[in-house]
Amino acid sequence: MKPDAAKPEVLVIDDEPQIRRLLRLILEEDGYAVREAETGKAGQGEILRHNPDAIILDLGLPDEPGVDVLRRLREWNATPVLILSVFGQEGSKVAGLDAGADDYLTKPFGEAELLARLRALLRRIKPAVAASKFRFGRCEVDLAARRVTRDGHTLHLTTTEYALLRLFITHRDKVLTHRQILRELWGPKAEGQTHYLRTYMLRLRRKLEDDLEAPRHFQTESGVGYRFLSDPADAA
Amino acid sequence: MTVPMPWKDVAAPPAGAPGAAALPTRAKAKRIIPGSEYWKARKTSAAREYAEVLGVVAIVAVVGWSAPVSYHVFGYLYLLMVIALSLRVGRWPVLVAAVVSALTWNFVFMPPRMSFSVLDVDDTLMLGSYFFAALIGGQLTARIRAQERHERQREQRATAFLHLTRALAEARTMDAAAAAALRQADDLFSARTALLLPDENGSLTAHPAGTFRLGEQERAVAAVAWARGQPAGRGTEILPGDGLYLPLLRAGQALGVFAVQLPPELTELSTAQRDLIEGFAAQIALLVEHEQLRAAGEREKLLEESDRLHRTLLDSVSHELKTPLAVLRSAGEKLTTDDPDRRVNLAGEIRTATRRLDHLVANLLNQTRLETGRLEAQLDWCDVRDLIGAARRAAGDAVAARTLKIEVPPDMPLFLADAVLMEHVMANLLFNAALHTPIGTTIRVTAGLDEEHRCVRLEVADNGPGIPAEINATLFQKFQRGPAARAGGLGLGLSIVRGFMEAQHGQVSAGRSPEGGALFTLQLPYAPHGAVPGDET
Repeated sequence: MKPDAAKPEVLVIDDEPQIRRLLRLILEEDGYAVREAETGKAGQGEILRHNPDAIILDLGLPDEPGVDVLRRLREWNATPVLILSVFGQEGSKVAGLDAGADDYLTKPFGEAELLARLRALLRRIKPAVAASKFRFGRCEVDLAARRVTRDGHTLHLTTTEYALLRLFITHRDKVLTHRQILRELWGPKAEGQTHYLRTYMLRLRRKLEDDLEAPRHFQTESGVGYRFLSDPADAA
Repeated sequence: MTVPMPWKDVAAPPAGAPGAAALPTRAKAKRIIPGSEYWKARKTSAAREYAEVLGVVAIVAVVGWSAPVSYHVFGYLYLLMVIALSLRVGRWPVLVAAVVSALTWNFVFMPPRMSFSVLDVDDTLMLGSYFFAALIGGQLTARIRAQERHERQREQRATAFLHLTRALAEARTMDAAAAAALRQADDLFSARTALLLPDENGSLTAHPAGTFRLGEQERAVAAVAWARGQPAGRGTEILPGDGLYLPLLRAGQALGVFAVQLPPELTELSTAQRDLIEGFAAQIALLVEHEQLRAAGEREKLLEESDRLHRTLLDSVSHELKTPLAVLRSAGEKLTTDDPDRRVNLAGEIRTATRRLDHLVANLLNQTRLETGRLEAQLDWCDVRDLIGAARRAAGDAVAARTLKIEVPPDMPLFLADAVLMEHVMANLLFNAALHTPIGTTIRVTAGLDEEHRCVRLEVADNGPGIPAEINATLFQKFQRGPAARAGGLGLGLSIVRGFMEAQHGQVSAGRSPEGGALFTLQLPYAPHGAVPGDET
C-alpha cells in the first residue's frame, strides 16, 4: 500500500498548517514519507488506513485533547508516538508519556533534535541484531553474562543498579517518566517515591559517568523523567 | 445602630432585666431551653428555697419544743430566722417563711400549745415585724440579685465582644473574619447563625462558614430584611418565623444580613439578648464595610498598577519583539542569496533571533503565570546537580563565553523543590550573570546545606562588576533593568526568580560576592527524605 516501501512513513497530527508544512519539509528531506492530519479524528482515520511507522502528535488539538487520542490509540496500536507540547505544559507531557507516548518534544524545537528522536523511535521497533553486548561511552554491558565493564575493568553494580541500567538500555534514547521507572523497579506502590529513583540515579551516574556535574548518558528531563543516550553525539 | 425596631415595644417583660427575678415564674419557665445556655435566665431552684424555708421553721419548732423558756424567746428566734432567710432566699419564699413562722409560733409555742390562740398587742406586733422584716429583706435581696444578674450579663456581653474583636483582629482575610465572627456567635447564643452577603450578581449568598442552613423560605425573609434595611423574622413584625434576620447597616445601607436561628421554644427575646445580637450584627457590619472599602481600594490600586504595567509592557515588549522579528524578516528575505558564506551567516542570525524570542516568550509566560496566581509548585525530590545541569543547558550559548565552576559537596542530599521552576530560576540567574559581566568572567555555582541543616543554599556568584547600589532596592521588581544592561531582556528575569522561589516556600537575596561581583543566594527549606529500600549486592 505504501508509495515507497523503503521509506518509513510518518503521520503528523497537528492543527497548525505551518508546523505541518515545516515538518514535511524536514522529514521529507531526511528520507521519510509524510502524511498529515488536522484533527484527532482525521488522524485516527489515517492510522487505520495507512498504518504509519511513527506518529507525531500535537497535544493541543482542536477537537479533543491529544492525550485522549493517544489513550484510544494505545488500546489497539503500538506505533511509536512522539508528542509535541508547548512551553509550560510539563503536566500534559508526563500525562502523554504515561498514556503511552514514546517521547516528547517541546515547541520550539530544533531540526536535529526532532530527527534524533524520530530515529531513536524507529530504531526501537526494528531492533538491531540481538547483540548480547551493549556499548556506550567507555562502558560495555554484557547482557548475557550480566557484567558491566568500564575501560575494560569490571564494575560492581548492585541488583537494583543493574536493573535500572537494563531498563535504560532497553528503552535507550527514549524518555522514561519517573512513574514508569519506579513502577518497573519498585512496584506500583512506589510510584510517588521519587527519592528512591534519585538516589539510585546518583549511584549509577557515580559509577558510569565521567563528569557527575554534566552527565552525558543519563540525562535528566526536568519534571518528566530520565533519558539514556547511548550515543550523545547523535542526539543533538 | 439607629434602626427603628417596632418589635422592641411589643416584647414581653424581659427576664434578664432588673427586678425580673421576683416576677411570677411564667416568663422565666418559658426561657428555660435545654442545651442553650445563653437563653436560660439563671434559675435558682425555687422549690429548693421553699424546702429550705419550711425545713428551718420545722427545726426550730422541734428543737424548741421541750426547751424550758418563755414562748417569747421563740417569737424572737423566728424573727431572726426570717431576717436571716430574707438574705438567702427570694422574695416569695421569705414571705412564705414569715407566714409559716407566724402560724407555727402561734400554734406550737403560744399557750395553750398545739392550738391557735387569740393574740394580744405584744404578739401582734411581733408577728407584724415578721412580715415587715420579710418584705424589706426580700426586696433588698431581690434588688441585689437583679444587680448581680445584670452585672453578669454585662460581663458576658463584654467578654463576647472582646472575643469577637480579638477574633476579628486575628483574622487576616475576610473569610477568616467572617468564620471567626460566626463561630463566636454560635458559641455565645448556642444557636445556628449565618452571614449572607451579596455576590457579584447582587443576590444574597450565605457565607460557607455559617451553621444556619437557610432554606428557600428563610432566604426570602433574609432578602426582605436586606431590601428594607429592617430586622425581620422571629419577634419582629415582618414575616415572623423561625430565625431572626438583622440587616448589616452602615450609613443607612444594608451590606448584608446576619441570621440567627433561635431555639424553637424561645418566644421572646429580652432587651439584653436583643442588644447583644444587634451589637454582633453591628460589629459584623463594620467588618464587612471595612472589607468592602479595602477591596475597592485594592481594585483601584490594581487597576492603576495594571495600567502602568500595560504601558511599560507594551513599550518594552514591542521593542523587544520587534528587534528579533526584524532580523528574522530580513534574514529570511536574504536567504535566497547564492553566496554560501552569507547563507551560513544568515542562518546564524536567525538562530540567535529565535533564541532571543524564545527566552522572551518564556519569561513573559512565566511572569503571567506568577501574576495570575495559577502557579503551583510541584515539589519533588531533586538532585541539585540535575537542576544545575538543566539550567546550564537552558541558558545555552549565553554562558558559553564565561567559565562556569560548579561546586557541589559529594554528600549533598536530595531536597524538595519544583525541578522545572528551579531550572528557570537557575537559568535566569546564569543568563543574568552572563548578561551583566564581560566575556571571560567566572561564574561560580555552589550548593550546600546551612549549619543547622534546615535549609538548602544555592549560590550563583561572579567576579564581574557587581550590582550597582542604586538598583539594589528595585532589583527584584518587574521591568527593572540594570543601567548597563545591553539590549535584550524585559527586566523580568529576577522578578520571576523571586516569584518562583516564593512559590516553593523559598527565598532569594542579592549581595556582593567575595570576588567583588554579584552574588545571588537561593534558599529552600530542607528536610531529609524517608528511607530508600536497601539493595542486595
